[in-house]
Amino acid sequence: MEEPRLSDDEIVASVLQGNRRDFEVLVRRYSGRIIHFVARMTADNDEARSIAQDVFLKIYENLPYYRSENNFSAFIFRIARNMTLNWLNRQKRTIFISRLLGRDLGRDPFRLDPPRLSPQEQGERETLVTDQLRRLPEEQRLALVLKVYLEFSYLQIRDVTGWSVPKIETLISRAKSRLKKCILLQESGGEDVLPARKK
Amino acid sequence: MNCQQIARMLSASQDGELTPDLELEVRQHLRGCAVCREEGNRLQQVVRRLRLVPPPAIDPFFPARVMAGLGTRPLAARRLAQAVAYALAFFLIFAAGFALQTGSGRRATAVPAAAATYSSVLLEPQDFGLLSVHDDTLGLFAEAGRE
Ligand SMILES: [Zn+2]
Repeated sequence: MEEPRLSDDEIVASVLQGNRRDFEVLVRRYSGRIIHFVARMTADNDEARSIAQDVFLKIYENLPYYRSENNFSAFIFRIARNMTLNWLNRQKRTIFISRLLGRDLGRDPFRLDPPRLSPQEQGERETLVTDQLRRLPEEQRLALVLKVYLEFSYLQIRDVTGWSVPKIETLISRAKSRLKKCILLQESGGEDVLPARKK
Repeated sequence: MNCQQIARMLSASQDGELTPDLELEVRQHLRGCAVCREEGNRLQQVVRRLRLVPPPAIDPFFPARVMAGLGTRPLAARRLAQAVAYALAFFLIFAAGFALQTGSGRRATAVPAAAATYSSVLLEPQDFGLLSVHDDTLGLFAEAGRE
């Protein structure tokens, strides 16, 4: 434990002065939240840890571009968001190409089998929620994950995504309504719930 | 405000994102409208369900793995300097070759040696990640000023 607790900006300054070991303080400070974010976006905990590791390497490389203004969190979540979306797009491309070649590599990020999670990490209900979440349109999912799991305010979400606050409000509201319909359908014994993902 | 307008604001209200006067309007409406109250309950239920999913288990070795992964990885500014050094070294080699071919022999032979030394001192040839400086992972270019 560092005491007194240095601010993110102070640690970044130290790393940039050549104390690269100090970067570990930032990793410890943010790794839980970054991994959680990526895991909820990809619905895959193992993949999330691997992506998060790359995210931190990218953060390190790009530290010189960070402008100290007490908003390190937005800086790193922007990187995490971009790398996660890149990963999801690569997955989609892989599926597209493998289908084009008549092969299914079975690496669909929206695959229908349950995501790889250890038994302790998931109950039946959790799987269901994870499953519903990953079927949301990407923008809705991104806004909702930042709100619900990271407890970001709409302004913080704006700093990460570049979207306007009204757009964020609409995305989150729509995401919740969509999930609400799923829950209602489940409770009434309905089977599958969502139409195919749009865009 | 009617129920439809209230319904559009319920989510933001539960997220604590409404202005105080709008929040007041929503609350007053909810007190008198069972339909919107029920809708509000359902939305809250959605969030409660989402929060049933816990964060992935903590991996105590994660920070150490990241630090090991850093290796001798340079910061972006140094990468830019490396790019310039590469360009300079290649230019020198090319210029030297050209000078040799056009025949002004003895003086030019010193140049490739100098260029090779320069590049071996400054550069880490295994690191070809230069492009990543420009890959806009930061979204600096795309997002700047977009609203
Ligand atoms: Zn009403």
